[in-house]
Amino acid sequence: MFTRVSAAAGALLLLVIPCGSASSGPADGTVLQAAQPAPAALALTLPNRADSLKFAVLGDFGTASREQYELAAVMKRVHDAFPYELVILVGDNLYGSERPQDFKKKFEIPYKPLLDAGVKFYASLGNHDAREQRYYKLFNMDGKLYYTFKGSKQSVRFYALESTYMDPDQIVWFEKELRGSDSDWKIPYFHHPPYSSGDRHGSDARLREVLEPLFIKFNVSVVFTGHDHFYERTKPQKDIVYFVVGSGGKLRKGNIDKSSGITAAGNDTDYAFLAAEVNGDEMWFNAVSRQAKVIDSGSITRRK
Amino acid sequence: MGCTMCRTVLRGFAALPVAAALALAACNRTPPPPAQSTESATPAPAQPTAQPATPVEGQPVNADARALEGMLQRINDYAALHKKLEDTLPKLSKESTPEEIDRNQRALARLIQQDRRGAKPGDIFTAEAQVVIKALLARVFAGPDGAALRASIMDENPGKITLGVNSRYPDAVPLSTVPPQVLQGLPKLPEEMEFRFIGRHLILMDVHAHIIADLIENALPA
Repeated sequence: MFTRVSAAAGALLLLVIPCGSASSGPADGTVLQAAQPAPAALALTLPNRADSLKFAVLGDFGTASREQYELAAVMKRVHDAFPYELVILVGDNLYGSERPQDFKKKFEIPYKPLLDAGVKFYASLGNHDAREQRYYKLFNMDGKLYYTFKGSKQSVRFYALESTYMDPDQIVWFEKELRGSDSDWKIPYFHHPPYSSGDRHGSDARLREVLEPLFIKFNVSVVFTGHDHFYERTKPQKDIVYFVVGSGGKLRKGNIDKSSGITAAGNDTDYAFLAAEVNGDEMWFNAVSRQAKVIDSGSITRRK
Repeated sequence: MGCTMCRTVLRGFAALPVAAALALAACNRTPPPPAQSTESATPAPAQPTAQPATPVEGQPVNADARALEGMLQRINDYAALHKKLEDTLPKLSKESTPEEIDRNQRALARLIQQDRRGAKPGDIFTAEAQVVIKALLARVFAGPDGAALRASIMDENPGKITLGVNSRYPDAVPLSTVPPQVLQGLPKLPEEMEFRFIGRHLILMDVHAHIIADLIENALPA
């Protein structure tokens, strides 16, 4: 079965949260308020079902910049309406020095409201990250450079890979884990994008050469990456949708090469993260900008 | 390990993590087979740098393997020192605080730096091994994927920078990607060590201590 991607989400309920709302999440599928043209309102188009696995994706964020903090605040607003339980981090978690105070100002302080709400962050490492981040409690890496974990709901398994150092051991491990999993959704995430329209970095063809055959063989439907500092969703590549979410704390304006031919949706004008929800064979997603705008939305039907 | 040469090489190294790499070098430097599947998921192997000598039981291994043997022994020695010194420190848990991570990393670096006072380039990467590794990299980068591999490595690579053996890896310098196709051609390292590139230099990085254990200047072909 091919991956089916729907960019329109007409059948979904619209959740509109006024700016500054601190309400807890809505009941299953409840429309909180009719859509109205309020510039600061947050209009998510996600089903928000009680039994869904809800998660967020964030990458290239650890700068301690004003923009990182502003996007973090939007992430909390989204969480208030759409209570995702975990955030997968696609690398470059801390730029520059990694002293204890850097962990605080580049991670713990901006995301404190989410941490306080019980949201768990699962990190993968980028090229700006020291290997010792694997021991950091709040990154939940279990002391490992690459690891896997299951979502608490639905049939979802995540695979955090270490794409700067894809040695033979890791490839063997990944294949073994994919083969041994009976999860419907197998979701790898890592830093370097096998497909990207970035002018600065672009597709990592060497990594793709190694990983894509595994994705195809084991029915991976969606892959999350970062590294290029913008948001992009590709058209299905060999039936797999690739997201680049490298816009959490750095932004490279105008860097999406519109002639690449692989872009389904993209945004290189504002910082952004992704909120997603898996229920059964469907995954819905909303990319949300620092201006609290949904800049991309849709759904993906998993491959079988 | 299936070949006689490999068994010969492994004698005396069997329990050491880098022994497999030495055997690999002796076996025409093909990648290790995946544990379960032999399908297309594994990357293309790096090109061999030299033809192995005909394996003869009890005879010395080929020239490349011999050249790497001294380096691998020194890597093992380094790893043993690393472990001995690390064991004197509180063990990092899987739920460490940034303070604990930083304290542990810097303390380990200090211990290693003290123990290896006077360390200089080539102490681990022996002259003979440097020749083999440079030849291997030259062969890989001369191949059809050479330009793409180089682009991967040089992505965000700072270029010229002053490096010192036994010094801390510069905090502001991102880690280079080492493509799987390159890693497959290099010896496997103990868990606490990694190969990285800074500019054209290949460094042997102690990832726990965040220091440069050794380096080969201009290992990447110009």
